[in-house]
Amino acid sequence: MTPIVLAVTECLCLAIAAPAVVGYVRWLKARLQGRRGADFLQPYRDLRKTFAKGMIIADTTSWIFHLTPCVVVASTVAAAALVPVISASQPGDQLGDLFALMALLILGTIFLALGGLDPGTAFGGMGSSREMTVAALTEPTLAIAILSLALTAGSTSLGTITNTLLTTPANAIGPGHALALAAFLIAMLAETGRLPVDNPATHLELTMIHEAMILEYSGPYLALLEWAAALKLTLLLTLASNLFVPWGIATSLSAGALALGLAAVLAKLALLATLLAVLETRVAKLRLFRVPELLAVSFTLALLAATSSFFTR
Amino acid sequence: MDALFSRLTMTGASAMLLLALVVMWRRHVPAYVTAFRTQSVVLAFVGAIVAWMGEVPELFLVAAIILGLKGWIVPRILAGMEARRPDDRGLRPLVNTEMSLLISGGLAVAAYELSRPLTEVVSLPTRSGLPIALALILVSLFIVVSRRQVIAQIVGFLMLENGVALLALLGAYGVPLVVELGVFLDVLLGVLVMQALVPGMEKTSAG
Amino acid sequence: MDSVLVIALLAPPMFAAAVAILVRRAPVGAVWFDAVTMPVSACAAAAIALRLAAGGAPVVVGNAWRLDALSALLALLVSVVATLAAWLGPGLERRGGVPSTEIRQYRIYANLFASTMLMAVSTSNLGVMWVAIEATTVTSALLIPLRRTKPAFDASWKYLLIGSVGIALAFAGTVLAFVDYATTGGDLELALNWTTLRTAAPSLHPEVAQLAFVFLLVGFGTKAGLAPTHTWLPDAHSEAPAQLSAVMSGVLLAVALYAVARWKAIIDLAIGPAFTDTLLLVVGIATVIVGSASLLSQTYYKRMLAYSSIEHMGLACVGLALGPLGVFAALLHLTGHALAKSAAFLISGRVYARYRSGEIEAVSGLLETAPATGVLFATTVFALAGLPPFSLFLSEILIVQAAWRAGHPAVTGLVLVLILLAFASLVTHLQRMLFGEAGRDVPRGERPSVPLGLLALPVALLAWIGVTLPAPLRMLLTYAAEVVRP
Repeated sequence: MTPIVLAVTECLCLAIAAPAVVGYVRWLKARLQGRRGADFLQPYRDLRKTFAKGMIIADTTSWIFHLTPCVVVASTVAAAALVPVISASQPGDQLGDLFALMALLILGTIFLALGGLDPGTAFGGMGSSREMTVAALTEPTLAIAILSLALTAGSTSLGTITNTLLTTPANAIGPGHALALAAFLIAMLAETGRLPVDNPATHLELTMIHEAMILEYSGPYLALLEWAAALKLTLLLTLASNLFVPWGIATSLSAGALALGLAAVLAKLALLATLLAVLETRVAKLRLFRVPELLAVSFTLALLAATSSFFTR
Repeated sequence: MDALFSRLTMTGASAMLLLALVVMWRRHVPAYVTAFRTQSVVLAFVGAIVAWMGEVPELFLVAAIILGLKGWIVPRILAGMEARRPDDRGLRPLVNTEMSLLISGGLAVAAYELSRPLTEVVSLPTRSGLPIALALILVSLFIVVSRRQVIAQIVGFLMLENGVALLALLGAYGVPLVVELGVFLDVLLGVLVMQALVPGMEKTSAG
Repeated sequence: MDSVLVIALLAPPMFAAAVAILVRRAPVGAVWFDAVTMPVSACAAAAIALRLAAGGAPVVVGNAWRLDALSALLALLVSVVATLAAWLGPGLERRGGVPSTEIRQYRIYANLFASTMLMAVSTSNLGVMWVAIEATTVTSALLIPLRRTKPAFDASWKYLLIGSVGIALAFAGTVLAFVDYATTGGDLELALNWTTLRTAAPSLHPEVAQLAFVFLLVGFGTKAGLAPTHTWLPDAHSEAPAQLSAVMSGVLLAVALYAVARWKAIIDLAIGPAFTDTLLLVVGIATVIVGSASLLSQTYYKRMLAYSSIEHMGLACVGLALGPLGVFAALLHLTGHALAKSAAFLISGRVYARYRSGEIEAVSGLLETAPATGVLFATTVFALAGLPPFSLFLSEILIVQAAWRAGHPAVTGLVLVLILLAFASLVTHLQRMLFGEAGRDVPRGERPSVPLGLLALPVALLAWIGVTLPAPLRMLLTYAAEVVRP
């Protein structure tokens, strides 16, 4: 399989699998809460339904309102193209590295916030300001957590980081690795708007962050934004599993290795999604002014991980 | 084997530092006592590892005393003190949580830089944990300075002692036994005297 | 012979404490035992000091105890001041008034306190020295709230916490030096012996030695009342009972500086004196500024004396940084300060007993109501202010001279200004207390008594030393200075 085909396939895999991941998490939460829950294909049906609906767009919006869903989807898909999914000989490395990934993610976040501000409603503004507060701490944390791995690997390209950990597994024992993983997971919860930072199922004004920003969107725009959010969750989960626990990923382009890689990443995604569902069932949402404290903890953990990696090169 | 020794002690040291960060993060005093107790247990564990892999048998005794004294007796004394001072729970620290955590991160980076000459000089396999021990010392000092609750200040002091003990373990496989025993005695007496002083501080009238 | 001397030095306070613990009722017996055994310790210290002043070899007992000239000087100061405090302590007054529980508590902890200080200066192992100094914090912290008032408890708590944290940092410095020594492959059993470290010092690594000294200075400096960790001192020394304040201000601070000096002697051999001198100079000047500047605004006379202690410790610290002459001057300064400050606090106890108030405003007409006490108080405060003929004048002049010779004109000028400022503040407060009209409910008249006579002794000693620096003391100070700065 040529690199280009592989890259496109990986990206498509993520894009297609994203709603399923969200559906699985929702189903598992329902089960844990004693409900029957819709099956994990329900988000696909929801997306199809939403795409078919008409749009109502407020008069007070500008071109930013229309641009936002496109930019968010584009940046998230581009970020997904950079993530090593099935193969560690990552074709996406030629497109961008760690910093490009972070830049794309923040691009999406910024436009989402702008899109929330654009209609001029109270909910949107509130959601955008909260989102920026959270993003100010999560983006550096994600970057520094991956940077601590990059320092050990000697390169910021994601494929190289994965390969280095595969070839020298001893790097994984020790505090730097565990700290970086913990920091990454906490920041990921905040970035993707999951409990305990934000409740993805709520529409109460006191508790919304992500939902508040997309409140004004309807029809295909809404479908695009929801799908982009699901894709962001999936790509971050994949990143966590393949950067920190890469075993199983394909190191060659043979069919057997690729199949194994696919199975491995699906298994890891399933495991992480299960853990996410269990966590969301167990914890309550944090009060908003306690969120920066949690994020400061994750930032400090990331900083410690990067420091220990830097000084023990 | 050396690599495993190094990694294990470094992991233990990092766990101790993280437990000190718990004091920065949580607001309520019982969490501090639990963090200290866990940190002392981890310290005893690190001591046992150094005793075994570094082949210094007397450290087993030291680890046992750490476990008994700092892992059991002192936390019980602290828990007793905490139960008698419920109004401390409302006291806010001098520096808020986010700044405390960021300053702790900064102190950890500073500790790494300060201990560079030390790690170059020491040739033992445990030397990679030395910066973490120094970071623990600095972070504990910051805890004492920035917290207003009495128990939090005591916990900060005790964590400082833990940090110095860790420094001794990792840097030279422990100090001579006489000094070690003297240190334990001093810590125990110090905590007992603190316990004796705290009720007197609560009097609302002089005399 | 050596072991006899060491036992005679260290055992008496421990015996006195043991007797005080065992005798529960009628502690008068314990008090008299204390009053009789403490001079034994002082005599032993004097004997050791005389021997070393004559150029004799250090008193050594095995690997545990070693008293060279520096140790002997400090041991002498500690035992003399402790004896004075024992003679003037609660339980020996003609009129009763002090509850026997307080008497017993005082005798137990004051003696334990004295024995830990003596152990700290007589041990040859720097780790044991650390343990002893930490023990001084614990024993004295229990004694500060003797009168069980809330401010006393608060002061004691602050003292215990800040002192313990400081001591823990000093332990970190000790461990760093130990680790450095361990990397040179020396014998680990004797690693913390001062003589071993001294011999091995040239092979210690410079940056580690620097880091260790910073921790040691901050740590022991906290116990010595050096800035910026001096904040516990005014509270602790003013809330403590007068006899305890006398011992704490007079000698405990000096013992902490002794610890700094011991380590300086080692570190200087490793990296040359420039680093430690600079640090000590900066810290010392900052301390003197804090002490002198705070004196004028004081409204309680015991706090005034406490800030004066801070100022004098700063001066001694500056002296340590100024070469051999400076170290000599610093040690002379510590000697004079021990005598003057302990006498001042003990006399302030008499003033408090008469006026029932700690405020300077409330005390006036001291010369009228209690002439002998007033005169003694005036002379000790003059001594502390650095007036001739007392020895503190001599040591301050020597420090200034050492600063000039070491090539620090700015330091010289600054120190002179600060000494003058302290002098002005102290004399202003003193004048307010001595003259004026005393309140109507203040008892007047004073009979000559043994305590007054005893309090005249340190004053006389200060004058004698200041006028003619007696040869034995001069030789002892010279040899002691050589230990720190050869």
